[in-house]
Amino acid sequence: MAANTLNDNVTMPASWRAKAPLLLAIGLCGVLVSLGLFHFGSSPENEATGFRMFFHSYLANYIYCLSFCLGALFFVLVQHVVRAGWSATVRRVAELLAYTIPFWAVLFAPILVAVFTNHGHLYEWSKGAGEIPAIVEMKLDYLNPGWFLFRAVVYFAIWCVAARLYFRMSREQDETGSTEITLKLQRWAGPFIIMFALALNFAAFDWVMSTDAEWYSTIFGVYIFAAGMLSFFAVMILTCYMMQRNGRMEKYVNTEHYHDLAKFQFGFIVFWSYIAFSQFLLYWYANIPEETLWYKHRLDLSTGWRPLAYLLIALHFAVPFLGTLPRAVRRNKNLLAGWACFILVVHWLDMTFLVMPNVGPASFMMLLGHFVCWIGMVSIFLAFFMYRVGETPMVATRDPWLPDSLAYQQMPM
Amino acid sequence: MSDHKPEKKAKPPRAFGWVAEYADDNKLLEAARKVRDSGYTRTDAFTPFPVHGIDEALGIKATVLPWFTLCAGATGTCIALIMQWWMNAFDYPYIISGKPFASWPAFIPVAFELTILFAAYTTVIAMLGLNGLPKFSNPMFTNPKFDRATDDRFFLWVDSRDKYFNTEKVKSLLESTGPISVDEVREDDSPSEIPKMIFSAGLALILLALVPGAIVLRMRAARSDQPRWQVFFDMDFQPKKKPQQTTTLFADKRVQRPPVPGTVARGELELADPYYLGYDPDKTAALEATEATRMVAFNAQDGAAAAAAAPSANQAAAPAPAGAAGEPNYAWLTEAPIEATEELFALGKKKFETNCAVCHGYAGYGDGLVSQRATNLAQGYWLQPTSMHEDRIQKQSVGRIYYTVTNGKGKMAGYASSLTPRERWAVVLYVRALQRSQNASIEDVPEPKRAELSSK
Repeated sequence: MAANTLNDNVTMPASWRAKAPLLLAIGLCGVLVSLGLFHFGSSPENEATGFRMFFHSYLANYIYCLSFCLGALFFVLVQHVVRAGWSATVRRVAELLAYTIPFWAVLFAPILVAVFTNHGHLYEWSKGAGEIPAIVEMKLDYLNPGWFLFRAVVYFAIWCVAARLYFRMSREQDETGSTEITLKLQRWAGPFIIMFALALNFAAFDWVMSTDAEWYSTIFGVYIFAAGMLSFFAVMILTCYMMQRNGRMEKYVNTEHYHDLAKFQFGFIVFWSYIAFSQFLLYWYANIPEETLWYKHRLDLSTGWRPLAYLLIALHFAVPFLGTLPRAVRRNKNLLAGWACFILVVHWLDMTFLVMPNVGPASFMMLLGHFVCWIGMVSIFLAFFMYRVGETPMVATRDPWLPDSLAYQQMPM
Repeated sequence: MSDHKPEKKAKPPRAFGWVAEYADDNKLLEAARKVRDSGYTRTDAFTPFPVHGIDEALGIKATVLPWFTLCAGATGTCIALIMQWWMNAFDYPYIISGKPFASWPAFIPVAFELTILFAAYTTVIAMLGLNGLPKFSNPMFTNPKFDRATDDRFFLWVDSRDKYFNTEKVKSLLESTGPISVDEVREDDSPSEIPKMIFSAGLALILLALVPGAIVLRMRAARSDQPRWQVFFDMDFQPKKKPQQTTTLFADKRVQRPPVPGTVARGELELADPYYLGYDPDKTAALEATEATRMVAFNAQDGAAAAAAAPSANQAAAPAPAGAAGEPNYAWLTEAPIEATEELFALGKKKFETNCAVCHGYAGYGDGLVSQRATNLAQGYWLQPTSMHEDRIQKQSVGRIYYTVTNGKGKMAGYASSLTPRERWAVVLYVRALQRSQNASIEDVPEPKRAELSSK
């Protein structure tokens, strides 16, 4: 059975593509409305609070979307470096997701605005020496706008080059069917993984961790990585599911592939919990003031964020752990799609937990604005994805691994 | 043994069904499906590599093994949590790192480990059990062709213990699936005794294991002029100092270091806090420093000149009377470091009447029951307890009174062991109230109540 002759529709429905401009408009409106809500919700005596809330909310939702696009890039690289056969039918989805990263580079602009206006709305260190705690002042050699910008450019350059290379070469293979391309991509995957890991780690330090620059955690990059991978598998499952509901990719993606994606998703539920708990346990045990500060902002009863911490233990670990444990669930794509939606919601809660408590105590208007900003950012993501996919086939139909992938079977039970 | 053998051989070996040999896995899968569809369930396949779909072809049902894993994992979690709670919070509560006894975050790593441990061991043991392992012999092994099951041949076995087993029917069924050969599976009739050599080897091992112990025993009993044999040299001779030894690290050559000035050692706050002392130790140290300086100056001078100069210097430097002999010259607290409330007053009254009034009397005149009785016996060596309304006592600061309550004075014992600092301060304030009540003027009575008093 020659794989590339499978009679299957692998392009995105045209009706989806047609909605991209509308989604983009909704998304931008949502982000702007959230700015209005934050401004309205902030106390009149301190107008800066509105901007603080907006920039933090923007950052949280930005990282929310970017994290699973980065997860997609890592997935593509790993499939090549281990020469995985099973994933050939779904890898194109990840390639397309990863190739939205150049768009996200554009949306990084508001964060740069927050840095270069020097009000400290998002990063206290951007105010410069004199107005910030002494411990942060000592970090100004690293945390200063120019160097921050330079690093961001390097991170995006690494990701964009990798995403573009792996997408373009895979597309070229659609035409030529050349095995050489696969071999070349396999060779490059190792070096790119190293660069990707360094860029992601430092991006997590720069963009998310430095919102609370008095605090530090060496495991923070891994935390963002774990959360990003988990949500990527959810996005992947959901994309395949939606395509198949519309009669696409039906012959290419089968239960075996869903099962493997679900296993990865399950694995990263545990991995996220492991990393999150490891970070907490050490800080809790040592109980050193400068290390527990971040948790004080989140667990102190007066800030109102503590319920979210307990919610994360339940919803980001216990519930999906038990829920996606049975093999029967992992082999049922309808149930899996439900769990994928669930994961994407708790991923938002997680990103909220990472960023928003730095603004201050939780309030209704803050959460409302943050929610609207989320809706907006997800719409923007969908628009980006639709634009990026266009008429591109969502399966790499002449990948040399494709016959392997189609014949692939899980170990029986 | 040899004369038993012919008897055994006379009995024909039992048959355990039929085994068919195939050249490739597709043929095997086909045959397995055919056998499955004919209704046989006690079947098995032997292949050189895992064959996808063989489970389905043989009709093997999904295993219950995951349930063993899940239950064992959950048991491990529960046992770990209960065990740690019981040990740390219930059976032997002990403060570790200032954490609560039941510190759930600290329990999680152990819970995680026990979950994995229980789940993994149970999975392996249950897997072996469900597969009927370990099994030292299998009738399959009697067929010399079977050796190729690890190389390039595929075998399908229909067990004679199957419900529907019929020798002729099974044989013809297997022959119809295109095998290379079909053979009857025969019982392994080789002797089942354990070879003698194994016992000999075991005995030799046991004897060898006794050798180290014998050497140790011999060394303990025998004398030797060799230096002692240090197994763990760096544990026997550690580069560390023990108390009372000397060192070259510090100028004073003392191994034990005095506390750093201005610090309070853990658990010794009571030696440094005015609340526990009744005086300010820092200010007191400053006071005593001036005294010490004078003392040094005094000793540095020679002879009578110094002796003559000393009193005048003393008077000039300390115009305030130093007090009676033995009276400590401390920086007493003049304000109680505790808020006077109704509740504290009640506490002070209660503690005073329990601990102090037997000697000092309920009103503090030094006429308690003990004192009255002693005076009645008139034995001559009884000293009347101090009246709190003496001028000397009235002039004392609260800190001084607290010090007396804490450390005692003369015949009076200290009350530090029976009264907490808070209770002692309550007593001090109650004493103050008593003094005030016994030396009150009409101005001390609130305006509306004065009429009541004067009418009596």
